Amino acid sequence: MKPLRSRWHGSLLVRTGAVLVGVFLVLGAVTVTAGLHATKLRLQESSRQRLQQLLDTVESTASVACFANDEVLAGELASGLLKNSEVLSVTILAGDAELVSHQRHVSAQTDPDEAPAAPLVRDIHSPFDPGQRVGQLRLVPNHALIRQTMRHELIAALLQMALQLTVAALAVMAAMLMWIIRPIASISSTLHAMDATRGERLSVPLHHSRSEIGQLVTDVNHLADRLVQTLEEERALRLQREFEERRYHAIFDNAQTGLFLLNTAGALNSWNPSFARLLHLPPAASPAGLSLQALGWKTPERVRSLLRNCLNRPSSTSADLDYCAPDGANLWLHLVLTPIDTDALQGVLHDVTALKEAEASARRQAVTDPLTGIANRRGLEQRLGDLAQACAHGQISGFALMLVDFDNFKRINDGFGLPAGDEILKEATQRLCACVKSTDVVARLGADQFALLLSNLYQGEDAEGVALRVLHSLQQHYFIAGSPLKLHVSIGIAFYPRDATGDLPRLLLNAEFALDHAKAEGGNGMHFFNPELAAAAERRRQLENDLRMAIREEQFVLFFQPIVDLLESRISGAEVLIRWNHPQRGLVSPNEFIPLAEDTGLIIDIGLWALEASGRQLARWRTEGRELSLSLNVSGRQIPAGLPVEVLRDALYRLGFRSEFLALEITEGVLLDDVEGALNWLTAVRSQGFSIYLDDFGTGYSSLSYLKRFPVDRLKVDRSFVRDIDKDPSDRALVEAIVAMARSLSLEVVAEGVEEAEHVRLLHAMGCRYLQGFYFSPPVPLETFDDIHDQLPDMLGNALQGFLRDTS
Amino acid sequence: MPTPIVLLTRLLLFWLLGTTVLWADPGVLVVMNSASGVESLTRDQVVNIFLGRFRQLPNGMPALPIDQPADQPLKATFYQRLVNKQLAEIRAYWARLVFSGKTTPPRQAETPEQVLQWLAENPGAVAYLDTDPPSQVRIVFVLSAAP
Repeated sequence: MKPLRSRWHGSLLVRTGAVLVGVFLVLGAVTVTAGLHATKLRLQESSRQRLQQLLDTVESTASVACFANDEVLAGELASGLLKNSEVLSVTILAGDAELVSHQRHVSAQTDPDEAPAAPLVRDIHSPFDPGQRVGQLRLVPNHALIRQTMRHELIAALLQMALQLTVAALAVMAAMLMWIIRPIASISSTLHAMDATRGERLSVPLHHSRSEIGQLVTDVNHLADRLVQTLEEERALRLQREFEERRYHAIFDNAQTGLFLLNTAGALNSWNPSFARLLHLPPAASPAGLSLQALGWKTPERVRSLLRNCLNRPSSTSADLDYCAPDGANLWLHLVLTPIDTDALQGVLHDVTALKEAEASARRQAVTDPLTGIANRRGLEQRLGDLAQACAHGQISGFALMLVDFDNFKRINDGFGLPAGDEILKEATQRLCACVKSTDVVARLGADQFALLLSNLYQGEDAEGVALRVLHSLQQHYFIAGSPLKLHVSIGIAFYPRDATGDLPRLLLNAEFALDHAKAEGGNGMHFFNPELAAAAERRRQLENDLRMAIREEQFVLFFQPIVDLLESRISGAEVLIRWNHPQRGLVSPNEFIPLAEDTGLIIDIGLWALEASGRQLARWRTEGRELSLSLNVSGRQIPAGLPVEVLRDALYRLGFRSEFLALEITEGVLLDDVEGALNWLTAVRSQGFSIYLDDFGTGYSSLSYLKRFPVDRLKVDRSFVRDIDKDPSDRALVEAIVAMARSLSLEVVAEGVEEAEHVRLLHAMGCRYLQGFYFSPPVPLETFDDIHDQLPDMLGNALQGFLRDTS
Repeated sequence: MPTPIVLLTRLLLFWLLGTTVLWADPGVLVVMNSASGVESLTRDQVVNIFLGRFRQLPNGMPALPIDQPADQPLKATFYQRLVNKQLAEIRAYWARLVFSGKTTPPRQAETPEQVLQWLAENPGAVAYLDTDPPSQVRIVFVLSAAP
C-alpha cells in the first residue's frame, strides 16, 4: 500500500478543489455573462429613460428654438444637453434642415468596432400648435459610458466571485481536510503500522462514531477480524500440513520398505534410503540416469512386463523377483508398482528373501518328516500324484506302493523310551534307503510305518525281491545303548495301476489292507493286496454298521460260564460272556465282533449294556436269595473313561445288587497303556467293593511287578497253560507256580479252560480253588445255567473220585 | 330637478345674452398700413410675424409687429385668440428667444395711440385693433371670437 500523500494529484482534496473551481468558474462565467447582459440592457434602458426625461425637459425650449429657427438657442440647448455625460451628440433640426449639431469629443479609446448607438429621436412641435411639427431633436446616447460602467461592474462581479470562490473552496477543503482527509490519512498511517494478528485494530476517529468514516473503520476492523481468523486457520492448516509432510518425509526416509518413484519408461526419479539398502546399491548412488529395469534383476523381462501391466491396466501390480545385488548377494524382492499420475509410478520394495526361504523350507517341511528327513505322508501323496501322472502319460508302466510297519514298536517306546525308538526309526530309515533305488521314494507315514514307492515295479516277483530285502535288512539287530535288539516288520504291497486305477487314496487303502493282513497273519511277513482283502474290509464295514444297529436294538444276550468253587463244591458264580443275536446270522461269536467293537469304540456302549444286564441278573438272584457272583470282561478301551466309577455306583444303587458279587475282568494290556489312569480306576472301583480279576494271566508280559503295583483280587490263569498241564510238565509247573505265588500274595486263582476231569484233579491237587471250563459247561444262556447245578456233584465226583478216594 | 318653467327661463336668458355678445364684439382686427400693399394675411402669417418666426411680408417687405400696451385687455385677447396662450406664456416664450438675440418680440407700444402712430409711420407694421381702424389702416386678418 502506497502512502496516501505520495500521489498529491490523486488526492481527494485536490480533486474536490479542482471540481469546485471548475464548477465555480463555469457558474461564475454564466452568471456574470447573464448578469452583465441584463445589466447592459438595464443600463441602456435606464440611460434611454434618463435621456427621454432629458428630452422631455428640453422639449419646450427646443420647440421654441425650432419654431423660431433660433440656432443660438438651439446651440445653447445642445450644449446643455451635452453637459450630460450620457449624451454623445445632439442634432436639432428645424423643419428638415439641421439647425444645430453638437458632438461630444470622446477619447480615442472608443471601440471602433462597436456600432453607433441608435439615436433618440424626438419630433418637436410648435409651441402654439401641437399638431405642427417644427423640427426634430436627435440625441445619440453615449454608450461608451455604459460600457465603462459595465466594465466596472464586471470587475466588481469578478472580484466578488473570486472572493466567494476562494472562501467557499477554502471552506470545503478545510471541511474535507478535517472530516475526511485527516481521518483517512490517520487510518491509513495506522493501517500501515498496524499488526492485526496481534489484535491491534483501528480506533474510530473522534466524532466519527456515526459517520461513514466510523462505519468504514468498523468494517475494516471486521475485515481484519475475518482476515486474522482466516490467517489463523491457514496457519493451523499450514502447520498441520508441514507436520504431516515432515511425518510423511520421516516415514519415507525411515521406512524399512524401499519406496521410490519412477516414470512410465522406468527411469527412477527418487528413492528412500531403504531402497538403496535393499538393493545393495552403493551409498553414493543417485537415481539420475538409472532405470528400474537396468538394476540387477535376474529376470529383467519380468520387470518390464510388470511395468507394462501396471500401465495397461492401470492399477497396482506386484511380483516377487529374484535379484542379484552388485555385491553378489542373491535376494528375493517383492516389487509393487502403482500408477499415481499419467507419467509417474510409485514403487514399493520389500525384501522377501527370508519369507521365500521360509516358504521353501515350509514347503520342504510340509512334505518332509522332521525326524528322519525323508518324505512324510504328504510328500508321499505328492510323489504318488507325480507317478500316477507319469503313468497316465505313459512315461512309466506302473509302480508299487509298499507299506512297512514294525510289529509292536510301541513296546520299544514304552520299554526304552521315545529317544530309543527314534534312534531305531532313523536307523531303519537308512536301511530302507539302502534297499531301494535312488529314484524310489522312502517316506515315513506314521509312528513306525514307512512307505516305499517303487517306480516301474508292477509285478509281484520284482516287488517281492525288494520286500524280502527290506525284511532282511530291518530284521538285523539294532543297538540300543549297546545292547542288541531285534524287531519284526510287516509289509503290505499294492500295485498301480493294477490294484487301484486312477484312485490314489484307494491304492493307499489297499496297501494298508495288505499290511493289516500281513499283521493279522502274525507279522514278520509280507502280503500283496488282492481283491479278497478289500472284500474283507467291506465285510468289516458292514459288520460295524450291524453292530451299531445291534447296540440300538439291544440284540445282545448274556451267556454265563459257571465258575466252580472246589472248596465248597458248588458253583460260586459265572463269567458273563456276551453274544450277539444277529437277526440274519443268528448268534455271533464275540471273537468276531469284540475286536471290531474295541477298534471302533463301540465296546463302551456294549460294556454299559452288559453291566446293566449283569446288574439286573445279580439283583434278581439277590431277591431269590442265591449267592452267585458274576465277572464281567472290561476292555482296555473302557478304562478309565468308558466305564467310570460313577456309572458303576449308579448301577449298584439303581439296580439294587451288592458290589462284592460283581467282578470286573481286566487283562494285563489294560495296565500297560495308561498306568496312572488305570491305577486310579482300579483303586476307585475296588473301594466301591467290586472285585478285580486279572484275565489271561501268563500270556502277556506277566510282569510280576504289576501284581504288586495293581490291586487285583483274582488271577485267571490262561487256558493255554491249563490245557496241557496233564501232558506238559512245564505247563504244570508254571500253573503250580502261579497258584503258589497267588497264595503267597493272598490272591485267589481261577483256572480257565478246564476241559478234562484230569485237569480238575490236578488243579485240585495244586490247591487251585476256582475252575472254569467246558468240563463243567460252555457259556450257556441263563435258562440252562441252573441245570448245571444239578450236574455239578456228578462232574466233581467223576473227576475227583480217585483223588477223593485217595485222599480219603 | 328644475321645473320646465325654470329651464325655459334659463334658455331664454342665455339666448339673450348671446346675441348681446355677438353684437358687442366684432373680433380682433389685424391691420396694416394701407401703404404696405398687403391686402390680407393668413393666420399662420400672422403667427409667424408676431411670434418672431418669419418676419417678412408676402411681398418681401420686412414686417414690424406691434403689440398693444400690456395693460390693454386686447393684447391678451389677441394672443388668446391667435395661439390660445396666456400673456404669461407669451412672455416666457419671448424670454427664451431674446436671450439669443436672433429675433425680438413685437414692438411694445405705450398706448393704443402709439400703436396707431407706429402703424402709420411704418409701412411694414402689423398691428391689431378692436375698434374700427382709421382710414389709412387696412384690415388684413380678423381674429373672430370663435376659436
